Amino acid sequence: MDHQPRTLGSAGQLRSALASLPPARGLLPLILLLLVWQLVQPGPSPYFPGPSQWWTATLTLFSREHLVAAFGATTWTFLKGLLLAIVAGTVLGLLVGISDRAARALQPLLEFMRAIPPPVTVPVASLLIGYSETMKLTVVVLSALWPILLNTTSAVRQIDPLLLDVARSFRLTALQRMRRIILPAIVPSLLLGIRVAIPLAIVVTLLVEMLTSLPGIGAIMIRSQRNFQSSEVYALLVLVGLFGFVVNDLFAIIEGVIMRRWPPRS
Amino acid sequence: MRELERIFVRVNWLGLTTIALGFALWEVLLRAGFAQYQNLPAPSAIADGLVEITTSGQLLADTLHTLRAVLVGWAAALVLGVVMGLLLGASSTLRRYSLASIEILRPMPGIAFAPVALLLFGFSLQMELMVIILPALWPVLINTMGAVMGVHARLFEVGRTFRVSRSDILRKIMLPAALPGVLVGARLSMTLALVLAIVAEMVGNPAGLGYAVVREQQAMRPELVFAYVVVIGALGVVLNAMLTGAVAVFFPAASGRMREAG
Repeated sequence: MDHQPRTLGSAGQLRSALASLPPARGLLPLILLLLVWQLVQPGPSPYFPGPSQWWTATLTLFSREHLVAAFGATTWTFLKGLLLAIVAGTVLGLLVGISDRAARALQPLLEFMRAIPPPVTVPVASLLIGYSETMKLTVVVLSALWPILLNTTSAVRQIDPLLLDVARSFRLTALQRMRRIILPAIVPSLLLGIRVAIPLAIVVTLLVEMLTSLPGIGAIMIRSQRNFQSSEVYALLVLVGLFGFVVNDLFAIIEGVIMRRWPPRS
Repeated sequence: MRELERIFVRVNWLGLTTIALGFALWEVLLRAGFAQYQNLPAPSAIADGLVEITTSGQLLADTLHTLRAVLVGWAAALVLGVVMGLLLGASSTLRRYSLASIEILRPMPGIAFAPVALLLFGFSLQMELMVIILPALWPVLINTMGAVMGVHARLFEVGRTFRVSRSDILRKIMLPAALPGVLVGARLSMTLALVLAIVAEMVGNPAGLGYAVVREQQAMRPELVFAYVVVIGALGVVLNAMLTGAVAVFFPAASGRMREAG
């Protein structure tokens, strides 16, 4: 399948990354929308302040609300929670998936946990743990955990038993089996699980900040809205949108690198 | 009878036993005084809570509100997503002039719309719908577009050679080809709609199941919080099962692919 050379130069990598982007002409509708908006409503407004107002509001937010520190707090919680969920989800998923009986015994429970919309973990954790950084981290981990765990489990269960038999007849150690057969087989599903988990983790990070006013972007978003600072509300929408965009693209790059290293077997 | 027997065999009894044992252990540990958390209710208390909100009628009212928001928002996202997905799938010019905009808007976290929606609509169902529709639109749009793009160009050529009318091309070639994609998108979008309805009710419109959880948390009624969480989880399972079931009955050919994608 994979005809590309394993190692592209960094320039080549950049070029191939750029080639996969949709043409920049596609930005036209968005730019037109903002231009028309600006022309129709250049000044402040309680509902639809013009885009130039958003820019002024962004500058105000930077100086008044310590926006950089807030973004730092939000990003840090999100990353820590996601990484913990990846580690815990992969390890637990492997443990559950390796044993057929364990998988059958735990599947309904795990499916139900995944079916619970992650936002409800916030009030539950508030009750049990109280408002704290630990609680913030706990809810993010619990939101991102299930898709990663269940994807790992199903990937392990789909490994051809023949492969494991071959490994056994070649007397590979457990560690070698893990490294040579199991890990490469679960990489694509694991990445898919992480891709599903990322937006959930972002939403829950912002939600917990909105509901508890623990420091972060979410708290600032809800404060601006309560004070009816419409330009600030739109400015934060753009900033959070950019945050989602950057996280999404960074993950796509990481995914590309990992997929080149462990290409999926068909 | 045969059918019933088959269902009986397919039920994962081991898995259900695990859940039952888990609840029993939870109950015993709490009664024995091993509780680490002050506000952790016992399963028996949660069951009592479920009975309490059911008999008072509160649960039904909350569930119906959330269900309405989810279904209306999801339906709107479906219609918008399918129409835009068909258009974008069919026209490469349209794609060239809008795909980049979509790629910028798509990863926007749904919750980011909540403050704007509150600003525009206040505490209302419209606020909830705005928070649901905008993010729930993308999975339908992208999957529909992908499915239409996957139609072999030769099929369109054949259609043109036989002078098939435009509406027939849409009805006989594009829609059947797009269907599996639409269904995959519809399922992803439904899950998303429920999550976003709960979020919108937690930070915005004070109504429905999402608000109920926050309300009981602030009232320090842990058993009711857990009772509502159980209901919300069950609602997710039921909605998903109904969609999967409906697809299996009406579009049996496409149902396998949808299940794989979920």
